[in-house]
Amino acid sequence: MRTPIEPRPILTIEKLNLRYGNRHVLRDVDLSVRQGEVVVLLGASGSGKTSLLRSINLLASPHSGRITIGGEPIFDRSGNGLDRLRLSAKQIERIRARTGMVFQHFNLFPHMSVLRNVTEAPVLVGGVPPNKAEEDARGLLRQLGLETHAHQRPSQLSGGQQQRVAIARALAMKPQLMLFDEPTSALDPELVGDVLRAIVALARSGMTMVIVTHELGLAFEIADRVVFLESGEIAASGPPAEILLSPTHPRVASFVARFHESNDMLKPFLEIA
Amino acid sequence: MFDLSVITANAGLLWQGLLVTLFYTVATIATGLLIGFAVGLAQLSSSLPLRLVGRVYVEFFRNIPLLVILLWSYYALPIFLHLNITKAWAGYLSLSFYIAAFYAEILRAGVESIDAGQVDAATALGMSAGQRMQRVILPQAIRRMLPPLVGQSIIQMKNTTLLSAITVPDLLYQGSYISSFTYKPMEVYTAVAAIFLIVLVPLTALARRMEGPHAHAH
Repeated sequence: MRTPIEPRPILTIEKLNLRYGNRHVLRDVDLSVRQGEVVVLLGASGSGKTSLLRSINLLASPHSGRITIGGEPIFDRSGNGLDRLRLSAKQIERIRARTGMVFQHFNLFPHMSVLRNVTEAPVLVGGVPPNKAEEDARGLLRQLGLETHAHQRPSQLSGGQQQRVAIARALAMKPQLMLFDEPTSALDPELVGDVLRAIVALARSGMTMVIVTHELGLAFEIADRVVFLESGEIAASGPPAEILLSPTHPRVASFVARFHESNDMLKPFLEIA
Repeated sequence: MFDLSVITANAGLLWQGLLVTLFYTVATIATGLLIGFAVGLAQLSSSLPLRLVGRVYVEFFRNIPLLVILLWSYYALPIFLHLNITKAWAGYLSLSFYIAAFYAEILRAGVESIDAGQVDAATALGMSAGQRMQRVILPQAIRRMLPPLVGQSIIQMKNTTLLSAITVPDLLYQGSYISSFTYKPMEVYTAVAAIFLIVLVPLTALARRMEGPHAHAH
């Protein structure tokens, strides 16, 4: 088990609304994440999980609400769309630099080596001397079992390896918060395990994380809290055992039931094998 | 009968013409790349006025025939501006501005063809708009832009023949001149066409090679 958590919130989201045209993607979402906490966002596709995640580092532009990271307000816009806070591009870039993000499709830079993918941002954005950045990058790649791939191009790696490089790339910026957007959804089933292990190890190391995933197993394994989104609203929130084992909300119940169903369907085959 | 002596006797004039053609080709490609790059970036800018300027530039120069631009800038522009514009400047500027519109479109299309996930990743790492463009987008986009850039540049060499309309002594102009006193248009224009083939076929082959299956490998 993890050590008791100091209850300092590292991320606070208040009354967040996001619209794409007429579509109201997020409705009055409130979420607070404490230092060292792991929050797993669940929900059907189109429920707003990814949009919520992208709002946290302002890759999506919310319509209204308030976001605070590490005690520093980064977004504050009233219900009628008036900014109560205007940050310069520089300030926003500085906040993003300390918020790591891992994407469903890895989004590695294909024209750079694995090592360069990891050192590029620390050197360019963080001002870390190239030698130091390379040393740190090699350490991260070793941790993730990728040290022999440092000089390869991303296209020469398997999906699972690419996603671990993407994790190393995000960690190289020494983030105070890590965001994962369906990190295993684009992977072949046999490659999911390595990436999940990397994420579990990171959670155990005390990293604060918000993870969008369909892997209920991962939620059980590392989530301090599961947040279930339904049509852009938080339908349920609590410890994984409580939310997933005895769901009270009907949509959560049917979501979990579908998961069990597919597991049950597989069971006879797994037992034969 | 094909009288080769017409060509050999006037080889000097043809050679001068070729040099003029090559000079305008290289000079207007270089200038056009600079202007086109700026206009392309303007089209991609987050500022609406800049995007508009880029768009208007491209549509303006793409939709007026080059011959009209050349004649207008040599015969009409001096009247508007009350100053003398030599045919050399009119030709050089017209060809440069004209091709810049096509280069700008190639740049815009190349940048827009890069997966949005690349921008997301660079943005999430805290890179500024300039850093994203310089380190992540352009290095990938330029690879894709090279074949159409070469193709457009080949067209530019052929476009220089329109310079003869404002009496710039390019290859075609020299050809017309030789034919006017030798009365041998068949030999002379065949030679002009052959010279273009000799220069451009290798370049076209190079462009084709770049579009080949290896072009997309990283």
